[in-house]
This record gives sequence, C-alpha cells and structure tokens, in this order.
Amino acid sequence: MPGLRASPPAFLLLLALAFPRGSLAVQELEPGSRSAAAAARVALLYRNFQAGSLGGLRALGQVRKATLKNIPESGHKYYLQFSTEDYRTGEDAGNCLATVLFPKKKSRPVVSIKCSHTKDQKEIQEEDNRFYQRIRHQSKPITANNIPDSYGNIEPALEPVWALAVAGSSSIMWEKSTETLGYFLAQVKSVRQWLRKDDFIEFDYTVLLHEIPTQEIISCHMRLTWLP
Amino acid sequence: METLLVFLALLGVTSTEQLFVGDQVLRVTARNEEHITLLRVLGEQEELQVDFWRHPNSLGHPVDLRVPFPSLQGVKKFLDSHNFSYSIMIEDVQELLDEEKESMRRSRRVKRSSRMFDFTSYHTIDEIYEWMDVLVEDHASLVSKVQIGQSYEQRPLLVLKFSTGGSNRPAIWLDTGIHAREWITQATGVWTANKIAKEYGQDPSVTAILDSMDIFLEIVTNPDGFAFTHSSNRLWRKTRSINAGSRCVGVDPNRNWDAGFGGAGSSSNPCSETYHGPHAHSEKEVRAIVDFIRAHGNFKSVISIHSYSQMLLFPYGYRRAPTPDHQEMNELAKKAVSDLAAVFGTKYTYGSIANTIYMAGGTTIDWAYDNGVKYSFTLELRDSGRYGFLLPSSQIVPTATETWPALLDIMVHVLEHPY
Repeated sequence: MPGLRASPPAFLLLLALAFPRGSLAVQELEPGSRSAAAAARVALLYRNFQAGSLGGLRALGQVRKATLKNIPESGHKYYLQFSTEDYRTGEDAGNCLATVLFPKKKSRPVVSIKCSHTKDQKEIQEEDNRFYQRIRHQSKPITANNIPDSYGNIEPALEPVWALAVAGSSSIMWEKSTETLGYFLAQVKSVRQWLRKDDFIEFDYTVLLHEIPTQEIISCHMRLTWLP
Repeated sequence: METLLVFLALLGVTSTEQLFVGDQVLRVTARNEEHITLLRVLGEQEELQVDFWRHPNSLGHPVDLRVPFPSLQGVKKFLDSHNFSYSIMIEDVQELLDEEKESMRRSRRVKRSSRMFDFTSYHTIDEIYEWMDVLVEDHASLVSKVQIGQSYEQRPLLVLKFSTGGSNRPAIWLDTGIHAREWITQATGVWTANKIAKEYGQDPSVTAILDSMDIFLEIVTNPDGFAFTHSSNRLWRKTRSINAGSRCVGVDPNRNWDAGFGGAGSSSNPCSETYHGPHAHSEKEVRAIVDFIRAHGNFKSVISIHSYSQMLLFPYGYRRAPTPDHQEMNELAKKAVSDLAAVFGTKYTYGSIANTIYMAGGTTIDWAYDNGVKYSFTLELRDSGRYGFLLPSSQIVPTATETWPALLDIMVHVLEHPY
C-alpha cells in the first residue's frame, strides 16, 4: 500500500502563507465540515477494501485537521488527519493521515492513506481466521436475506457474511464517490454462497447503498471472493 | 320529533340500572326449627322483596338476607319480636357496589399502563396509535389527542397536545417520522411523549415550560409511508401519494414546504427520493401541519426530527446566507449538542442546513422560520452511517435518552426568550 509520508504541519503552514488569504488554492477546512468528513470516509472506504480484512474494518471517528487544495487541471485534493473506530465495536482503532484527490475528469478518487493501529496485527489476523473458519465450516452454502433486518438485527451466525459485505461494498462505494456524492451501506438485501474447490470463499451479494445527498437507494450486485 | 323521543326513551331504558341505596344485608342465626319456618315465611312476603343470599336450610348455618331499604324497619321489627339474633353484614349495599366499581376501574387502568409499552422495540402504527390512547387516559389532565387531518390513504394524522390549561398559549411543535424509514425517530417520539407526561410536576424545567406553554407532538407524521415500511419496503422515504402521469409514487414531505420550494436539493422528477411534489403543500400530511400552525397563530418553536447523521440544524436549507438569528441559534445549538454528548459521548455537528448537511429547498423548518416561528430546528438522530436507517432497537432508549436534554435546552430557551 502506498504510504503517505507524514506531511509536517510546517509544510502546510508554508503553503497557507505562500498563498494569500482568500486565494482558492489552499483552504483550511473546519474539522467538523461535511466535506472534510465525506473525504475522510472515502479514504476509509478505500482502505477497508484494500486491506481485505474483516477484523481490521474501520469507521470514521473524528476529523482532526483538514485542508483542501485546488490543483488546476487535476481536481480537488483533501489533506486529512482523522481518528478511527473499530467498525464492529466502536472502540478507538487509531489515527490516519490521508490524501484524497477528486479528479476533475469523472473517475474514481485517488487515495493515499496510512494509519496507526491500536489492535495488534496478529490479533486482526486471528479474527480474520476465525471469521474465515466460521464460513468454511458451514455444511451447506449460506443464503440469507435482509442483513440487518428491519429492526437492525444481525444474526450472530451471519456476522461474518455482513462484515464481508462491508469490506466488499467499500470498493463499490469508493469508486462511485465524488466530492458531492457519498455512500453508505444501507442493507444486504440478499446473499448466496458459491462453494469452491480451492480455499477461497465466494459470495454473490445484492447490496443496497444509500446515496447522499440524493437520498436514493441504489441496488448493486456484488460478486466477491476472499482469502484472509 | 316522535322518532327522536322514541330513541331517547330507548336510551333511557337501557341505561336504567337497578339501585340498592340503603339496602342492608343481615346475617341471622336460626336457633330452632320454628325460626327456620318463620324465615321461609318472611321470604315469601312478596311486597317485602327480601332476597336470601344464604337460604334458611338447616340449623347451625347462618342465614344471610338482603333487605331493601323500604322493608328494613318492618323486617327488623319482625326479627326482634321473634327473638332472632342477627347482625348487619352490609350497612349499605349500593355503597359497596360503588366502591367495587371504582376499584375495578382503577385496576383496569393500572393494568393497561403497567402493561408497560415496550420502549425498547420498534412498533407498528396501530401499536403506536393504541399506546397514544393509553397515554392520554393515564394523564388525562395533561395530555389530549388532536386530529389535524388525514393522510393521502386516509389515515388519521394525530397530534398529542400537552397542556395545563390557558387559551392558545405560546406553543412548541415537535414532529417525528416525516420520513417513513427513519424508524428511530417515531420510536424517540413515543419515548419523549412518555417522558414529558412523566416529568410534568417532577422536573422543574418541564413543569415551568408546561405551566406557561403548550407542547404539540406528532409522532407518526407520515403514516402512509410508515405503514409501507412495515408492509413492503423498509427503506421507503416519501409519502404514498399517486403522481399523475408517473408510475412512481410519493413526494418528499421535507421538500414540499413553501420556502425555497423547487430549489436546489429537491427534484422535479416524481421517481426521485427528493421529489418536491407538483406544488408547495400538495401533500395532505404537510398541508395539515401548515393549516394547524397557521390557525393556531402562536407557535414559537418547530422541531422536526429525522435520522441519520447526528446533527442539529437550523435554517436555512434553501440558501447559504445566514438568517438574522444565526448567532443565537448557533449558540443554542452548541449548548444542546454539548448536553447531548454529555450523556453517552455521542458527537453531533451543528449549523445551518445548507452549510452543515446540504442545500435543500422546501424544508419544514425553513417554512416555519419564514412564517414567524423563530426557534426552528431539525435534528438528525443516530447513527453516523454504520447502521443508518436500520438502527438496532437496542439503541432506541439510549438515543431518546441522550436527545432529551438537547430538546429540553431548546424548549427552555424558547420559554425564557418570549417574542
């Protein structure tokens, strides 16, 4: 994973001084601003997919610092510092530094991200193996609908299947995200497992994505394979 | 006229209850066979109308008889003259009957409210409407139910009114469930209604508020949509009105208000989730509130509750420029959000709709603000995206609990800043 060399605050300060206030080139954003949070989420979507881990899934905590740079001919680039939480438990999972470029030409955001972690890598791997074993040891191919159900419940037996959907749909949502369009996983509408002869786990999903600010519910078909 | 009289007469007949005022029940001890015979003879005196509760069958067993008031003197004389020993078991039968009736009524009430509505679950519209009646019954001097109109599919639009009297007091409006799929909001509405009723007379702030103001709370603001989320599509947002010339149903009720109607953040496409409708207030659910608030004329605050995002928002949505009251609203929002976070650490952002979430024309609180209701806020409840609309029911009570101090902050501010 391409690392991001930690930009010393001095560099950003220099940038801010070099460009007079009011210039559109570099803009310090309120940490609480919607666009900063949206960009941070895109960075996490990218990471959640790239990491290919269920135990390592993270959600956005708080944006600590955000800067927006307009790069002529290229697009808008966000420089972000934010905290993260474990996706499942909500516990503090560490901080991240990221850049997110939303290209002028309609293509997927370009993300570089580097995170510290509170959870041991070994711990995460063990969790992934546990998830993997739980799925592998099913006697019949798993099929299910509506995860979570209308009441927000996820059957414990289906938690790995849901976590896999979060990881996989992150890829779809990352690619679709723009500076003005954001996504959340609303629900796994249906899932069906395909048994394989090799070690990979394979699932067919229909996932519902909640699109902001249009409020639309987008239905996507996702076929994924996983090996921790 | 004659038929009316007949009807009234029928009414009269059916409502006549037999009364037992002054009747007594006497327990008599028969000491010999003669006594038994005498008692039987007493019972046969039709004009006395003596009613044996325990018949004179054999010696050694007490005889209980109910004696109608007019016959009391005569019967007692009879018993005395034949040396019966007796005691008065029931001094006044009617009094006893009245007591029993009252105690039955009380026990029915206790049973219903201690049937304890499950605030930790999501409920159907019928369950919520039924519970509203129980709440009104249990707090009859404080809470009443008002119907402000009908939905597109003709469901009643019901509002709970919290009032300690007065006439058209300055009022606060709260609504939940205007977007059907935001289930945490209707659930929070139910909990909050219960909380307000409970806390009047207990909590100083609630008491102060209700001693000079009224609170109106519409829990199921979009009943058709809500019913649809239960029966067909859990993620339905809009109303269920048929759109002429389109296969797509429904209008976004939070884009249908006459404030920046048709502007940015709303769509003219009936198939869109943010379809603003053919014209402002086209939706009966919206029109009912507009008419109600206008007719009332004395609303000082409108708080419209949504999910999800964890935000506290104020006008405008239809333009970026701040309102003249921006600073005051911002300060109040800051305080409310801080008090909310103090409960469980849940972090909310706050600000104007346009600058905090996105531009949106035709929203509830923009209309309210532009129509003289200064303290107009929108809340976006839990969560921030993990579960979104499908928030686990285990989070209902925590969400409602943490939101309460924020609501109270706003209501207290409204009370303390009359205009």
